[in-house]
Amino acid sequence: MAALPGELKYIQYEHSLESVYLPAIRALISKDLSEPYSIYVYRYFLYQWGHLCYMALNPSDSSLVGVIICKLEAHASHSPPTMRGYIAMLAVSATYRGHGVATALVKKAIDAMTHRNADEVVLETEETNIPAMRLYERLGFLRSKKLHRYYLNGNSAYRLVLLLKQIDPDAATDLSLDEVDTGPS
Amino acid sequence: MISSAGIVATDVTRRFASATATLPPGALIKDGYFTLFESVGALEIMDPKMDSGCLAPGESLDEDYDVTRPLLPSEVLGIIDQLLCLEMAWHLGYPLSQTLFTNVYIEAMLNPYPTTIQEADFIRPRSGEPKAPRDPMFSVLRAYCLGLLKACWYVNERIKFEHFYEEEDFVTNTYRRSLLDDIDRDEIRDEIMAARTLVHNIRHEISDDMAQALGFRLELRTAFLRAIELSELRSNPDSLSLPWVQMKALWDPIYKSRHLGTPVPEAFSTKIQRKLASTMPPRPIVQLSFEETYGHFKKLFNDGIDVLKVLSYSDSQSLLNFVLAFQAQKPQPLVYIRTLLQNFLFKDMIILGHLSIRHVIDDDLAIVVMPHSTLLDKSHDSVELPHDPRFAIAHQMELFRQRAAQSYLDIFRALCQNRCRVRRTFCHSIQDWETVQMDAEEIDQLLQIQLDEKPMAYKTSPMTSSDGTGASDPPAYSLPLSSWAYLYKLKLMEWIVQLGFELETYHPDELAGMYWYLSYLAKTRAQHVERIKAFTMQRLNEVRVGTNGGVRNDNRSGGFLTPQAEAQFTRSLSYLRATILDAAVTWELADALSYLYTVLQREGLVAPPPRPYSTDELRYDIRMKPFAPIGLPELPAYESFVRAATQPESGTAELLEYAARAVVGARKGLEVLSKLSEKEAFAVGGYKRWSDGVKRCMRTGIDAGISIERVRAAFAARAKAGGGEGGKGKLALKVEVPKPEKAYHEWWIVPKVEVIDVEK
Repeated sequence: MAALPGELKYIQYEHSLESVYLPAIRALISKDLSEPYSIYVYRYFLYQWGHLCYMALNPSDSSLVGVIICKLEAHASHSPPTMRGYIAMLAVSATYRGHGVATALVKKAIDAMTHRNADEVVLETEETNIPAMRLYERLGFLRSKKLHRYYLNGNSAYRLVLLLKQIDPDAATDLSLDEVDTGPS
Repeated sequence: MISSAGIVATDVTRRFASATATLPPGALIKDGYFTLFESVGALEIMDPKMDSGCLAPGESLDEDYDVTRPLLPSEVLGIIDQLLCLEMAWHLGYPLSQTLFTNVYIEAMLNPYPTTIQEADFIRPRSGEPKAPRDPMFSVLRAYCLGLLKACWYVNERIKFEHFYEEEDFVTNTYRRSLLDDIDRDEIRDEIMAARTLVHNIRHEISDDMAQALGFRLELRTAFLRAIELSELRSNPDSLSLPWVQMKALWDPIYKSRHLGTPVPEAFSTKIQRKLASTMPPRPIVQLSFEETYGHFKKLFNDGIDVLKVLSYSDSQSLLNFVLAFQAQKPQPLVYIRTLLQNFLFKDMIILGHLSIRHVIDDDLAIVVMPHSTLLDKSHDSVELPHDPRFAIAHQMELFRQRAAQSYLDIFRALCQNRCRVRRTFCHSIQDWETVQMDAEEIDQLLQIQLDEKPMAYKTSPMTSSDGTGASDPPAYSLPLSSWAYLYKLKLMEWIVQLGFELETYHPDELAGMYWYLSYLAKTRAQHVERIKAFTMQRLNEVRVGTNGGVRNDNRSGGFLTPQAEAQFTRSLSYLRATILDAAVTWELADALSYLYTVLQREGLVAPPPRPYSTDELRYDIRMKPFAPIGLPELPAYESFVRAATQPESGTAELLEYAARAVVGARKGLEVLSKLSEKEAFAVGGYKRWSDGVKRCMRTGIDAGISIERVRAAFAARAKAGGGEGGKGKLALKVEVPKPEKAYHEWWIVPKVEVIDVEK
């Protein structure tokens, strides 16, 4: 584990940064994936919710150290619909892990989603990814359900949920735990 | 360019190019229907991980393996053993494209589509040519593959027919390849037979050991096909189990002879995936070791024998217990076995091949709430006078069955799913049962008029009543149908919480609260069953003395307890007693663990994470979301939950005392449970697994007792050293919350408490 190269710079993504950072973002994220995402998956998130994407940059050369990619939209299977934030991807360069970079990125994303009126934030994480689960659970996420063989490698996942606002018990009629989610994470 | 009279083509290239020139790279132009799903499905051309046609420099598109090259016996054995590993990987949930369809012989056999047994060959005879004599090793490999593929076809069809989750449990996609769909299994059996004879005849040339090794593998294929064929009969389990027993017997010799094989890795290739009907680029072959494969097949054969036992029906509750315990196995039976179980249970709406749904539901109602009841009298069906109460009863009961049957059968169906899905499905089911209960209550009220039922005052048992005194409730009606529905709802709610432990859904600092909630549900169940029992006892007394009201002309209300009626009452009371005992054990164990975790949390030995973004109350909302819509029993208010999980009014020594007492209570109850016969336990057909479950709970009790004692000792030692209960300093203990699979029972997470030496 290398020491951090001084104070990291955390910046919000914006479309004008695509040519500079998208290749690095893809490279960083695909490292932990057995299946690569096409560029459209990245653009799907970054073009629509660039404001929910944060990058941690090395202060000396502005190279990418970590990134978080999210979305936030009305979730339809609930009535009334909730504003549901979704953490789609989170990655930190292996050399700089263990310094709280991922936690800092997640916090920035949650803050941004809270600011934009999110009711809840959800994500899926591989059951074997103990560090990720610990990170999210330390922030307040709860495992709401387990998803059997969710990933192509045959591993199961946990759905983690962070409720930011009280559910209105009178308004909500569908309180089931289920919905169709095809999102990557 | 396409040209036709109906199409006027316009070249838009230039317009498109000029329009896109105004966009920055990466801009996304999309309509509202373009979702994440679409974007995930998009491919990038010339990326080798996405573009199935993208080749590395010098790479050939096709495999250049020659399937006509001569094969040594050891190579055939090696290929067969590799196929066994791939077959198992498929059973485990990986697609054919990454398993069996990576084999060049199978590909040559299936492509082009074979419609006759002659065409199903990796070396196809040219039409018109006389059949040339062929290498016996080709015949062996071909016969093996025929048996393998046909078995896969049956397995795939079985799974597709039942309820399962595509890609989660299993991938049924055959990529438009046939699995010998059109070829008769008898023809295939003949080919395997012929190959076995062939092997026998050349045993001196290839060595006896080799001949035997190949022979066993061919026999395995015959037995597998036979097992599948017999399972369609749904008849006597003993006769159906023969081929499974045979496979089990063959399996060890097969495993032990694996060293005779020579692997032929070049006969397996990911390139074949490019020819399959799929847009997926080639993905790696799923490679199980033969050791892993051995374990999985062994379990498959054992489960294959075991699952047949469901076919000997004894009673509805034994059936439920069988399915429960069978599916709770770790690891769970493979999806094929799970769908076989569904098929046995439900095929053609005939339960286990010979029972009507009504038979099973009525049996269940008789066991749970209405032994020897006029409500279940089949002779009422033939009453045609609309004013006759018997006509009304038959009609109302039929309405009820129609209302409840699906929900009732869904419990069995849900239990056949993977464990994650069982829990998620039950989260929905409880809402369904809530309405079943309400609808049932309406029917109950109509029936009580027909029966002229008198309300009864009954005393809640002091053991389970909330104030501990046994308050007398106002006179009430028995409401048998809604009581039955309520009992299932309560069981489902308990199962949801218990599966939460099993699936490691709860954080260690949630355990005190969740065990408290489990105890609350189990107590509610016990109270409810006590109520049912009180009404059953009252009816039994009425029947005995002949004051049983109800329908006139009912020969059952004659006043004397016939042996048949007595047997029905005895069976029901025995069920109610066993259920109360089970509920008692559940709440005692749950109480013990809840108190223990409360203490560990107080002492900082189980610490909550900081959670800056969350509040305890919001997390309670999330955790209890499935239970929030349920009106009865109502979800405890957050404040009462917190009080129950933290026990602010009780001292730590007191809590440890409660915990210890609860363990003693649980162990006493388990002692009694363990002595029940298979009939008394309602575990006919699955008694061994049921009593194994009881034993594991007994060990849990012992384990919990030890942990509690260690905490007590450390607590007492600290009090002695530092001035009473409020003694300062951390307890000299190390606490570890084990993973469910490390616990004696997945539903009982007993913390491991170890004394640490502070001197060191």
